[in-house]
Amino acid sequence: MDSFLYLRKSLKATLVGEAVAGYSHVLMMFGFAIIATAPALIISRMISPRRRSNPVKFLPMECGQVPSGAGRTHFMMQYYAFILMFVVFDVMAIFLYAWGSTILNLEKTATLPIIAFLGIMFGAMAYALYQSKRRDIW
Amino acid sequence: MSVIAPKFRLGYFLKSLTDNIFWIIVLLTLVGIPAIMIVLFFIDLPVLDGTLLTPFLAFTMMFHPELAVPVVKSLLYSDFFRIAAFPGFGFAALLAAGTIFAERKLLAKLQLRVGPFYCGKFEGILQLMADGLKLISKEIIIPAKADKPIFWTAPILFVATAAAFVSLIPVAPGWVVADLDVGLLAVFAIIGFFPIITILSAWSANSKFPFIGGIRALHQMVSFEIPLILSLLGVVILTGTLNLSEIVESQSNYWFIVFLPIGAIVFFISVLAELERIPFDLPEAESEIVAGWLTEFSGMIYGLVQLGSYLKLYAFAALFVVLFLGGWQGPMIVPPFPAEIITHGIEAGPITVQVPGLPITTQEMLNGTLWFTLKTVAVIFFILIPRGVFPRIRIDMLLSIGWNKLIALAFINIFIALGLLYAGVLGPGGLL
Repeated sequence: MDSFLYLRKSLKATLVGEAVAGYSHVLMMFGFAIIATAPALIISRMISPRRRSNPVKFLPMECGQVPSGAGRTHFMMQYYAFILMFVVFDVMAIFLYAWGSTILNLEKTATLPIIAFLGIMFGAMAYALYQSKRRDIW
Repeated sequence: MSVIAPKFRLGYFLKSLTDNIFWIIVLLTLVGIPAIMIVLFFIDLPVLDGTLLTPFLAFTMMFHPELAVPVVKSLLYSDFFRIAAFPGFGFAALLAAGTIFAERKLLAKLQLRVGPFYCGKFEGILQLMADGLKLISKEIIIPAKADKPIFWTAPILFVATAAAFVSLIPVAPGWVVADLDVGLLAVFAIIGFFPIITILSAWSANSKFPFIGGIRALHQMVSFEIPLILSLLGVVILTGTLNLSEIVESQSNYWFIVFLPIGAIVFFISVLAELERIPFDLPEAESEIVAGWLTEFSGMIYGLVQLGSYLKLYAFAALFVVLFLGGWQGPMIVPPFPAEIITHGIEAGPITVQVPGLPITTQEMLNGTLWFTLKTVAVIFFILIPRGVFPRIRIDMLLSIGWNKLIALAFINIFIALGLLYAGVLGPGGLL
């Protein structure tokens, strides 16, 4: 009974497959939306005019000018610091949900370490925000 | 030039007609009927009065008035109906279409214009249909050197991801497509796909304006995801569950917006940013970067992206209702189904018709759907209003709002929730 294939829910054990089966509805909805909207593109392709007479028509939009240079270029990614911070703090936010959803079953003393964790992360975030203003280091 | 079919011959016409009939019969017998059999093998058909409801039985019951209502009911409670019609795609698409029309009329009234007026007898009510026909009959222009597979699939994926988000929203008690134990985490997981689809479509277009818009969308969605996630932690602390239906049920006495107003405000502002709506419409800023990441989209591709973004709007508004405004909870205003119809049947003059199987739905479901829809429409209205009022903000202001102010407010909200829990106001033994 202690296999990882079983989830213990109070006294009743359920197969992991049964628990995962609930997610199939999300996938079915995803698939239904694809099946329902893809015909719109196909019908549009069938009934709309397709004229390939003018090559200028297929140039990328640059406000009427003939485009210069490649569309996909290397460029300076400003505010890159925020993307790096996201990678760290998004995981932190999800960790907090593991604590928040079980807090009614935990002892009250278990809150103190989490508040310490919050304090550390908050300090780290303040430091990262302070550093993110110095754009010359990015 | 203007003559239709200049070389018309009746013989050719009859030949093409018989040809078409021949091919339809051949394809139906060789492909259609086996395909139906294969599909029927995988669908679990409902059981009615102890007998399995095969398609043959369903067709015969259509002519059997006693069983018509039970057949309709068995279809109503099937998974396919939920996904395609009521709490799923059809309901959401209907509300999204209504939102598009209401937004155009509302903005026009705010700016002292008339708005859509000429399509349809009443206030241009058919404008949306006309727009759909226009979009579907326009040519789809794909820029040269674009990454064609991604460019074609990105709009479809956008709509499908928005639909997957819609599937998690409980509309009435028991009426939800996917009732997950970790519904809220699933919502966060699905929200995480939107920036990826946006940046993929922006990169695949091989054009500069979509690329700039895509990068802006990435920054915006990514930096407002953290306040969005943190602002909902207060609700999870107070309810101790991640299931959205249970969160709604726990609000039967008090809505969470009463206790966690700061969290609700932070969540609302983050939703505005995630939806790229004014004042946070930097990725589509039409006065700076043409149309942002939508620049190279034309025809039905653009139409699908619009449908996806309004489905997303409905889903976020519904999530706000579910988490802070009590979902389907509200006073019972739908009258109960008249009992004499069940016992005596419908009387019209001398004729009495017995209709077994009524009522089709319960009173709770109708009432819940009514309240949910009313609240969702109100929240959608509040999402639309800023478009007529506010200017657009700069990207550095956007990032500083997201990272400095909203995250600090979200932390304050967490401590308010903890204080309410440990002071005994809410939680076990409290008000709820």
